[in-house]
Amino acid sequence: MSWADFGSGALRAALPVAIWGCGAAIYAASKRDGRALASARWSALLALVLVVLAVLAMEGALVSHDFTIQYVAENNARATPLFFTVISLWAALAGSILLWTLVLAGATAYVAWRGTRELPRLGTTALAVLLGMVSFFLLLVTTPAADPFVRIDPPLDGNGPNPLLQNHPLMALHPPLLYLGYVLFSVPFAYAIASLVLGEGGDRWLVATRRFALVSWGLLGVGIVAGSWWSYAVLGWGGYWAWDPVENAAIMPWLVATAYLHSVMVEEKRRLLRSWNLSLVIATFALTILGTFLTRSGVVNSVHSFTQSAIGPLLLGYLVVILVLSVGLLLWRLPMLSDRGGVGAPLSREAIFLFQNVVFVAATLTVLLGTLYPIIAEAISGQQLSIGRPYFDRVEVPLALALLFLMGIGPQLPWHGAPRATLERQFTVPIVAAAGGALVAVLAGINGAFAVLTYALAAFVAATVVQEFARGMRARQVLHGEGRATALANLLRRSGRRYGGYIVHLGIVVIAVAVATSQAGTVQLEKTISTGQSAQVGPYTVTLTALRDATEPQRDLLVADLSVTGNGANEQLHPALVFYPNSTQAVGSPGIAAGARDDIYTILAAYDSRAHAWATIRVLVIPLVSWLWLGGLVVGIGAVIAALPQPKRRTVAERVAPLAVGTSAK
Amino acid sequence: MPRWLRLTIVVAIAALVMVLVLAFRRAPTDIRTGTVGKPSVAMNVTRLEGGDLTFGGRTDKVVVVNFFASWCVPCKEENPALVRVYERYRASDVVFVGVLYQDSPENGLKYIHDNGVTWPTGIDTDGRIAFSYGVFGIPETYFIGADGVIAGRHIGPIDETTLVNGIESLRAKAQK
Amino acid sequence: MTRSRLLIVVALLAVLAAVSWSARPRAETPAERVDRITSELRCVVCQGLSVKDSPSESARQMRDIVAQRVAEGRTDDQIRDEFRASYGDWVVLSPPLASWTGLVWLVPIVALLAGLAVAWRRLRAPPSTLPEPAPAEVAALRERVAREEALDVVADTP
Repeated sequence: MSWADFGSGALRAALPVAIWGCGAAIYAASKRDGRALASARWSALLALVLVVLAVLAMEGALVSHDFTIQYVAENNARATPLFFTVISLWAALAGSILLWTLVLAGATAYVAWRGTRELPRLGTTALAVLLGMVSFFLLLVTTPAADPFVRIDPPLDGNGPNPLLQNHPLMALHPPLLYLGYVLFSVPFAYAIASLVLGEGGDRWLVATRRFALVSWGLLGVGIVAGSWWSYAVLGWGGYWAWDPVENAAIMPWLVATAYLHSVMVEEKRRLLRSWNLSLVIATFALTILGTFLTRSGVVNSVHSFTQSAIGPLLLGYLVVILVLSVGLLLWRLPMLSDRGGVGAPLSREAIFLFQNVVFVAATLTVLLGTLYPIIAEAISGQQLSIGRPYFDRVEVPLALALLFLMGIGPQLPWHGAPRATLERQFTVPIVAAAGGALVAVLAGINGAFAVLTYALAAFVAATVVQEFARGMRARQVLHGEGRATALANLLRRSGRRYGGYIVHLGIVVIAVAVATSQAGTVQLEKTISTGQSAQVGPYTVTLTALRDATEPQRDLLVADLSVTGNGANEQLHPALVFYPNSTQAVGSPGIAAGARDDIYTILAAYDSRAHAWATIRVLVIPLVSWLWLGGLVVGIGAVIAALPQPKRRTVAERVAPLAVGTSAK
Repeated sequence: MPRWLRLTIVVAIAALVMVLVLAFRRAPTDIRTGTVGKPSVAMNVTRLEGGDLTFGGRTDKVVVVNFFASWCVPCKEENPALVRVYERYRASDVVFVGVLYQDSPENGLKYIHDNGVTWPTGIDTDGRIAFSYGVFGIPETYFIGADGVIAGRHIGPIDETTLVNGIESLRAKAQK
Repeated sequence: MTRSRLLIVVALLAVLAAVSWSARPRAETPAERVDRITSELRCVVCQGLSVKDSPSESARQMRDIVAQRVAEGRTDDQIRDEFRASYGDWVVLSPPLASWTGLVWLVPIVALLAGLAVAWRRLRAPPSTLPEPAPAEVAALRERVAREEALDVVADTP
């Protein structure tokens, strides 16, 4: 049996299993039938097993270079290294959809086994929704639109993956992280729908899926940063974010999910904003589907430039069904979800969260409008226009600064508000820190009002976070007699949600500073120099030592050897133009020296093809850009801390005992 | 929630869906240039084989301008069609001009010798000619009427039929 | 004025001063002007990059053209118009304020203000459309909830 038979057979078997499971779950939930539930559970598990088999079949086909499968012939070649062969599972459309199906089937199986036991009726209804989604995606991968196992007359050798996709090991991380983030959000969505269908006015759906939402948000966020890093390291233009439609497609659900994570706290604490939270979950999920649609349908031209395929209409249909059903359900149940009472005083945590939500939603709507506007304009007037960085930067930067500000004051304000005197006490140090931050920016020569304001707000937020940690640690030291390190560790363990969240805020602050500095302070030079000559870029001297040909197993290169000195640097960089056998155009490969202060980014733009006597190089000195990746890591760490299950509370007796013995408070 | 707000949400979602459906109608690679329908400007270029060449502007002759380069594979593919059509109109007053785009003169010279390009070809050294015509990439072919107006352009490799149709329609217009 | 209040005022003034200082109008060098103009023009062979950011050959030639026009003394609009004559409105990366497409600048501001207004109103209690239930009704409801929760098991089968 060939890989194609095995894989496509597994997928085609999984489809009826998923459909059966969906029906069984619906029956189980409505009739409270235990046997139907068991049937649904086993269907979910079986569907997962079959999808795993299909994925293994595809990997087997890739690794064994089985070119009878079209996907393998298009995305793999005999000379492709093993690492890139394995990760080319998600190199193109059909494989990506297969990966999506795998993650979705995994999440569904988890809900089938844990969720239906924790909250039987809600969980079973949610399972029905999830199995419905799994059925749709299985339908996609068994139709010609996205079937990964389509067979062809085997060519002698495959095309190999897109040159851009075999340049960097980050390709192993970015798509899976992004997909995990996207797909795991299906679970809160499914529970939200279940809650609406069952007419539960309460918050159980929200509490049950809190951790899923947080994990999904964290993975999506880190996935976006990984994509940014890949773009920076591979695409060779020196930037990390271009407001490309596909980048926008990923950040929109993340923005709304961030709003959701915060307003969830308002619902938990005050039982308010229930219909708003449901709307946010629906919007986040719809945006993940919209994002996939924009990326895959070929409707917008972008860096990812997938070819147009028949999957577009199918995804659009799916999106429409989802929107109609979920919005319809929400509007139907709206009367039972209305809030009792107002949110509260303007200077209270819940009010700040509300304002923050408004800003996030406005930011998302802007990105959506900017991405879709060219399509709208062309459909209406036939006129072709572009909306790019100038628009997005100008609108989003002020919104981001507003968010930074709210991030500083929100955690400091108590629920239900606080009197003026308390606020003064709490905010004195952070505001002074803000002044310090602004001063640092000016002294460091950072240009531009927005950048200086970013530094001020960053210092503000950082100070509030440090203040919170200090207060928490002091409280533990006094109450439990813990040493400083133990107090910190316990804060993170026992109040992980809160202090992990603060660490996430710190990560965002680092990213904000990195973005502001790199945007405001980049020094750029483009010059044609001969071999042996130097050019001066900022404090660095770049010398072209040689221009040479190089050959690697599956590609030819034209490399410029550059020596960079000055300002304490001593680097050898090798920007190159890479020629792949099946591609007419060369792909630029940048030479980057990453540093704690500056990144030195070099690009080989043009060269003397005759005598290798001169080259046109582009050098960018980008300050603090490495802090971006560091900030992403901090956000990830914070999310992990926040998501970890809390240790069980000790009983009152256990907690009181050490105090009774009379430890000295430190 | 007030009725008007509910209605607004429903309408907004419907509009979004309609926009996305409409998006399928356009091909993202179809980008129209701004120069079609505008008068061309007389430009002077250095010929690949030495000397000068002027083309564009009002010349009372139909002109076909083809942008190419030695590193461009589709250019090689469209070349036989260009050669055939050139032979066909050689005796007439239809003018063929080739413009070398982002390439070195040596490579260009080798290309025209290897591929039997016998019509006049010039070098666009600094990209000014490509810019004034609104070239996105190569191969691109422009049709200029006898009145000097850029009547049409073709992105991508061109075939014999399109070439002949373009030339004939401009010649017919010039007769009138 | 208390000490902390004084500190706050001084600190805020310092921030304001720093931001104003960095926002002071400075003469734009020709190179900066070229950078600004090219950052708003779209590179025709790339996927959405600006002429300023793109390392491609076409973009380099276009940067040269812009630099030459700046040296010749053309205005920003004249340079942009030249690009639009060759490539259409598509080549300008952000829609001009004065036209139908200028609406796209208005929408985010309107959305933000509308959202803030709605949020502000939600701070106060909305008029209660549901009547408060009587104590007897509350007791009956509690009893019903208890009954339904007892039923909320879907019988497990191993």
